[in-house]
Amino acid sequence: MGYIELEVLEDQPKRVVIGIDLGTTNSLPAIWKDGRPEILEVEGEPALIPSVVHVSDDGTAVVGRTARARSMDDPAHTVHSIKRFMGRSLGELDEAVLRRLPYQVTQTERGLVQVEVGGKRFTPQEISALILREVAAQASVAMGGAEILSAVITVPAYFDDAQRQATRDAARLAGLEVLRIVNEPTAASLAYGLDQKEEGTVAVYDLGGGTFDVSILSIEGGVFEVLSTNGDTSLGGDDLDALLVDLLRSELEGSVEGSVFDDPAFRQAARLSAEKAKVALSRDPEADLVISLPELGVNARRTVTREEFERLAAPLVERSIRCCERALKDAELEPKDVDEVVLVGGSTRVPLVRAEVERFFGRAPHTELNPDQVVALGAAAQAEVLMGGSRDILLMDVTPLSLGLETMGGAAEKLIQRNNRIPCSVKEGFTTYADNQSAIDFHVLQGERELAADCRSLGRFKLTGIPPMPAGLPRVGVKFHLDADGILTVSAKEESTGASASIEVKPSHGLTEDEVSDMLEASFKNARKDFEERRRVDLIAEIGIMLRHATANLTVAEERLDRESVEDLHEAIAAAKEARLCTELELVQAARDTLDRATMPLAAVLMDSVVKEAVSGKKLGDL
Amino acid sequence: MDATCPSCGAGLETPLACGACGVLMLTEDGACPFALLGLEPGFPVDAKDLKTRLRRFTRLVHPDFFALEGEEALAKAERNNALLNEAFAVLSDETRRADRLVARLGGPSKKDLGSMPQAFLMEVMEWNETLEEASPGSAEMLRLSSELTEHRDRISTEIAAALTPLPQPGAASLAGVRQSLNARRYVDRALGRISASAGPA
Repeated sequence: MGYIELEVLEDQPKRVVIGIDLGTTNSLPAIWKDGRPEILEVEGEPALIPSVVHVSDDGTAVVGRTARARSMDDPAHTVHSIKRFMGRSLGELDEAVLRRLPYQVTQTERGLVQVEVGGKRFTPQEISALILREVAAQASVAMGGAEILSAVITVPAYFDDAQRQATRDAARLAGLEVLRIVNEPTAASLAYGLDQKEEGTVAVYDLGGGTFDVSILSIEGGVFEVLSTNGDTSLGGDDLDALLVDLLRSELEGSVEGSVFDDPAFRQAARLSAEKAKVALSRDPEADLVISLPELGVNARRTVTREEFERLAAPLVERSIRCCERALKDAELEPKDVDEVVLVGGSTRVPLVRAEVERFFGRAPHTELNPDQVVALGAAAQAEVLMGGSRDILLMDVTPLSLGLETMGGAAEKLIQRNNRIPCSVKEGFTTYADNQSAIDFHVLQGERELAADCRSLGRFKLTGIPPMPAGLPRVGVKFHLDADGILTVSAKEESTGASASIEVKPSHGLTEDEVSDMLEASFKNARKDFEERRRVDLIAEIGIMLRHATANLTVAEERLDRESVEDLHEAIAAAKEARLCTELELVQAARDTLDRATMPLAAVLMDSVVKEAVSGKKLGDL
Repeated sequence: MDATCPSCGAGLETPLACGACGVLMLTEDGACPFALLGLEPGFPVDAKDLKTRLRRFTRLVHPDFFALEGEEALAKAERNNALLNEAFAVLSDETRRADRLVARLGGPSKKDLGSMPQAFLMEVMEWNETLEEASPGSAEMLRLSSELTEHRDRISTEIAAALTPLPQPGAASLAGVRQSLNARRYVDRALGRISASAGPA
């Protein structure tokens, strides 16, 4: 191991930039290596990290598989699908979605979503930061300990400014520099184009765990040009699961107390059962929804046929097809103009989805690429471009939503149209209505609707420092710039005097600069503690595996080992069991080391018998 | 274009960046869109050539290629790429392109001259009536739609003819072009209304 590590480290460029697919259900890192993108692997398996966070009452957070494993026995402390809340306010969220969550959701005084777990409140940015930290840690393990400081992170193409900002803030909180926020379908097209070396017009249909995107691209001579994009940031596999959860609920209706449906244990069990049945239905003509929670008096089994599921799912799939129609219309293309359809996201495994996509575009979708990996691969390719490795690839992307300002009458005046290429800038002039007015307020919106109230509010800006002048005389030029990440910055200048006016931003659905700084400061203070906690949690997990092996082979130990070794083993097992509940890192470490030593004689015996078994009954010549 | 790169002395195709040494240049906000794309001002534009230029120049200014060059270079790339995208948007849209040329030649702006050609006004009144009264998707509405499309083509031909070759600065014909542009805006809005009322697509 030590040797391999050295070799890997020598090969590393000075700066390691990974691509991260930060998904609703799972997150995955990839890197560019030897001229192509590659999924990072730990112990021969893709370093897939479930986007799940478990927070204990003592504040310890664990992420990934361990957290997902806790979601059944401790649902109220386990946060999943946090991506659906990024850059959102509680008031905007669908009641039905909230009703299905096993964990508590509250809001800050400004109305931002917070989840409450283990007596602590976390913004979605903080939960996502924990996930990103874990992804970076796993990526580091996969690369033999290389330090990861920068990343390209993917977001749904249809994410608005607030959702993109939230993603960027999450990365900052995780100690990662974000070199680029790249759109998931764009990343997918990049991976597809590099892999297949095909040119032409491509539609990327990306149905993930919580979001849906469709992008129409032209790929030509290394130029990946997004022609249009459309989508729905609250349409995904979670919604398909919800259909089956509702079936389960109606099956149970009347036979159990209504309050059972609010129980975190029920919500979690129902969700997992639904997910399992959904996956099975992609393979089999029917599947069972099973739920058994004796402590709640819940016991049900409901068979679902694929036909029934498809009938329920049809309106959701139809919604995605409507988005495809709009994207094509914006690109001024017909379905027949599309040369290839690329499927991305786990939910595209649902046969109905494939069938409807095929029907709409009139061609069988491309399925050679792994829909769970293609986004991360594309992000790694984009990282390579940013690192100066390739000027042959050029990504030209667009903004998914129009950007506008609220007018005096409450209408939305569009400044930048949707599907405009980014980066782009637009300048707008403002003036004052009263003599000596020193400040002007304006409200920035994103969306396609005519009324400001129907668009999404990005933030309220206050221009200050306007020199005293008669009404209507000042000419304040405000520049709105959408950068290559699709994120808005606003700057202003009083043009008659040249004085640069300053701007205060009050984001409607995001963290302010001060809030991010405060969180960062708090996380630095906690960094050492976090590190120790992490080490402790890892050790406990390791002890768990060792205990399982040791107890499973106790009879062998008692038969084959000397008395002293057996006693040592029993003692070490008892001590290790206790240590799993211990909060002191040193004690946990000591217990793990003792158990490790005490199991060595047993390991030797087991190894010996494995070898004997392998050679028994065989002649020498066979070996 | 006669300008040369202040850094390496090579001839410049666009004032945004040097194609030879890659240095980014500081360009004014109101720069001429034709100049940004390395073209002489003129109404006819070859769409394919325009796209090729956009891609070639984007390779020079896209922020992806300045990620490691520090904040200042990155900000310049963001700015120059935004200018390039805006210039492309103006030139690839025949209305915006004509608008810019009329302004450049000192013709009246939309604010100065908001009227439509006299001959057009009678028809507008009729069309408005149909727009108000006919039901979405009806035969009448479809007829209106094709009539408007026909008109649009005719106006476009007129505009193109009036601007090719470019008239002298301050020419009286520019007022006519402005009126035609106003008429085409009306037609576009009317067509937009028809397709919006025909149902979401």
